[in-house]
Amino acid sequence: MPTRPTIVAVGRTKFGEHYEKEPETLIEEAWLKASMEANLERRDLEACYLSDYFLPITNKLGLEEGFLSELTELHVPMEVTRSFSSALSNACNAIQAGRYNTVLVGGIEKMTDRWDKIRDDLMLLEDPWSYYAGCTPEANHELMLRAYIKKHGITGQNQDTLNTALAQISVKNHLHGTKNEYAQYQRKITVEQVLNARKEAHRPLGLYDYAPISDGAAILILTSEEAAKKLATKPIYVLGLSSATDYLTYPAREDMTHFLVTQIAMKNALKMAAKKLSDIQLVELYDQSTVMEMISLEDMGFCKPGTAWQTIHENCLDYKGYYEIDGRKLFVNMSGGLKADGNPLGATGGAQIFEIVKQLRKEACDRQVNPDGELDCGCVLELEGFGTKGYVYILGRK
Amino acid sequence: MRMSSEPIERRVSYLGDRLRANRCLICGKEYFEIRDYCGNCGRKSFGKMVNTDLFYEKGKLELCTLVNEPTNKFTKLGSYIYGTASFHDCKIRVPGRLTDRTAMCNEDVDFSTLEGREVVPRFRRRYSVDKNDVIPTISLAFTFADEYYPHQEYQIIKPKKEYDSPGIVGYGVYTSRFRIREGNIERSVPFIDEDAITAAVEAGKLALIHSRVDNTSIGKIYVGSESNPYAVKPIASKVAQVLKLGEENEDVQGVDAIDMEFACKAATSMFKDAAALVDYPKSNIKHAMVIGTDNSQAAPRDCPGGELDLFVGYGAAAFIFGKQDVIAEIEGWYSCTSDTPDFWRRDGEPHPMHGGRFTGDPAYFKHVRTSAKKLMERLNLQVGDVDYFVAHQPNVQFPIRISKELGFKEEQYAPMLQVAKFGNTYSGASPIGLAAVLDIAKPDNRILIASYGSGAGSDAYSLITTNQILDKRQNQKMTIAYQAQNPFLEHVDYTTYRRLKQGM
Repeated sequence: MPTRPTIVAVGRTKFGEHYEKEPETLIEEAWLKASMEANLERRDLEACYLSDYFLPITNKLGLEEGFLSELTELHVPMEVTRSFSSALSNACNAIQAGRYNTVLVGGIEKMTDRWDKIRDDLMLLEDPWSYYAGCTPEANHELMLRAYIKKHGITGQNQDTLNTALAQISVKNHLHGTKNEYAQYQRKITVEQVLNARKEAHRPLGLYDYAPISDGAAILILTSEEAAKKLATKPIYVLGLSSATDYLTYPAREDMTHFLVTQIAMKNALKMAAKKLSDIQLVELYDQSTVMEMISLEDMGFCKPGTAWQTIHENCLDYKGYYEIDGRKLFVNMSGGLKADGNPLGATGGAQIFEIVKQLRKEACDRQVNPDGELDCGCVLELEGFGTKGYVYILGRK
Repeated sequence: MRMSSEPIERRVSYLGDRLRANRCLICGKEYFEIRDYCGNCGRKSFGKMVNTDLFYEKGKLELCTLVNEPTNKFTKLGSYIYGTASFHDCKIRVPGRLTDRTAMCNEDVDFSTLEGREVVPRFRRRYSVDKNDVIPTISLAFTFADEYYPHQEYQIIKPKKEYDSPGIVGYGVYTSRFRIREGNIERSVPFIDEDAITAAVEAGKLALIHSRVDNTSIGKIYVGSESNPYAVKPIASKVAQVLKLGEENEDVQGVDAIDMEFACKAATSMFKDAAALVDYPKSNIKHAMVIGTDNSQAAPRDCPGGELDLFVGYGAAAFIFGKQDVIAEIEGWYSCTSDTPDFWRRDGEPHPMHGGRFTGDPAYFKHVRTSAKKLMERLNLQVGDVDYFVAHQPNVQFPIRISKELGFKEEQYAPMLQVAKFGNTYSGASPIGLAAVLDIAKPDNRILIASYGSGAGSDAYSLITTNQILDKRQNQKMTIAYQAQNPFLEHVDYTTYRRLKQGM
């Protein structure tokens, strides 16, 4: 049996606007936390997998690998990808192949330095044809909502309920964010605030429906099962991982109400982990907008297509800290999600993994989950672009 | 991130301007982007993909939302409806924005009333760029098919009749949906994403629709303009590429394309060249297209040259010349020229200057009078032999005064007077007057046109209409009258007019 990639340490910075900090400072901060957890030195690393979406643009860096080499004084193999999940996927493959025993996986982004240009950058990378046609990063989410409403014939009172449900997602994630010391937003908001922001914008979604622009870094140390024994008392295993890819141009996809990549990646990751959907106790999913959280619950299989809004609405009327689905607790975005925790693209996936690792180790303090049965298994969904790539990781204690 | 790296711009424009698509002959799947094989069918589909495009198609607005905080390059568009349009029974879906709509940022839009409506693609500027950059264009801009710009099919038919002398085989006029009304004069105003290039393409498209000639049979295109947004780079190449003029070989069009400039007579000057070219047996050119297009320039009112700001319009007229299925044969022409500096724009200056009182007698009247009189002499024509007279129209008074002076009666010159509806469209001005007459002329009518271009010169032509003018009339919904009296026209105030005219 091949070795299972094992997470022995995690570290991250607070997400938010760090205009006084250079990218070096941010990644150093995350690295120090992770290296202290595992009591590692830089020279112990055999390879580095780094992710960032924009660093060469936002911070006028050259090759990020060289930047990292200067920072770490390391000359080991280094690879740079767009998302943390993508970096982790490469690292997992290398560990499983037996090539390395101890590697670093890091994610870093500094979006606020780009200020107002970031939306153009984002669109151009996410969906260039739509950008040329006048799309904004927000408009694709709104079209997805329009497509969803039309496909499922949601009208009248039901449409109001759906709109409220989306607002409740944001309220819930902000509530979770208040318990996360690293979160960008650690304050509560109300459904009225979400709805008013939409009214002010004259659009289907408003300010509080979207994840913010953020700076931040996250790091984890990945080892083989064998190497982990010396480094960690509470190792977390990557039980399943999968990714899938879809068309760049969102309108060109067959079904605009879902992300095919999530559906495929989830199915394959569960298969690899030999887990059932009902084994998943907590999820960090990619709520770049409230619509995305709703859609993802369906794409991952927790809710049937066209029904997630009802589930969300019922659960959030008297929110107990989790969604109750088919009589089971499902903890979603305990970190605050992208909405409250923040969304520094290259580091976002790292924060999602960080949350699941902390939860599975029962080190999540105030936001520690108490599932039905023994805490065992969590799941992360990260997307790249507007559903162009989807990564699912299933992490477990055993 | 700079986006006007020329190769990228070329590829995006190549696909996006024309909305080129591809269909697999095996499974029928359609793709927006050009590709050699079908994703469904794999290798066996090589050589089985047919080129299609959506340029003349009618689509459906499927989904939409309001964009009122556009990305940086779109900020000059203000707020707009953005969404997806589907074509060919939803086999192909593209992103797009609705254009030609002003002021929406503080409105609550009921998207469901827009979704499901039919749309037509419009060729427009894509977004703002730096002054030094290539101007990006795209046809992923749409308007509703039941509004100002109707959907019209482009049918190509085999010619029925060969004529002895060359003439006009089809024409099209494009003016925008926006107007400014001041006193008795109404002028067309471009939307912010329009310019002389986009109008030229739209007019050329309408001329192809009207003439029903094969776009690949056009061997030369002349574009006359004095408001080309480039000092160096032709408009004609864009028109040739977007309208696919001449045989396409890989991504190069088998057509000669050239820009002309002689103030307001840049287009009319080339009528004779186009006619001569199609008449020259060894040219092997069946059709030639001439377009006069201008987003007529004028300084703001309180600046030198600002008096022009009361008259300038926006529009383009395209004429296709050939010897088959002619609607108006050319009977003869006369051109005259003198070095008269009545109106000019120095290189690098944004607005033209104007010789004031000087532009009347020694300039406009002298040249128009000379060309018209000389042509009538040459053809031995009396005023009574002419059914319609068309003159250049920089304002309302000049064309009337010269018509009267030449002895024409009101019924002979009234139909050409379009300046009070569209303003002075510079290179497009007398051609639009001619189009207005062709819209209503009967077979065997004689039309005398005398253009004027500052600098200065005039081209006079005598045209005689044929029977086919009536047959082809039904091919065109976008007539002059349709554009002048249209329920969907939107009137803007002076500030908006200046902003729109300035463009992106």
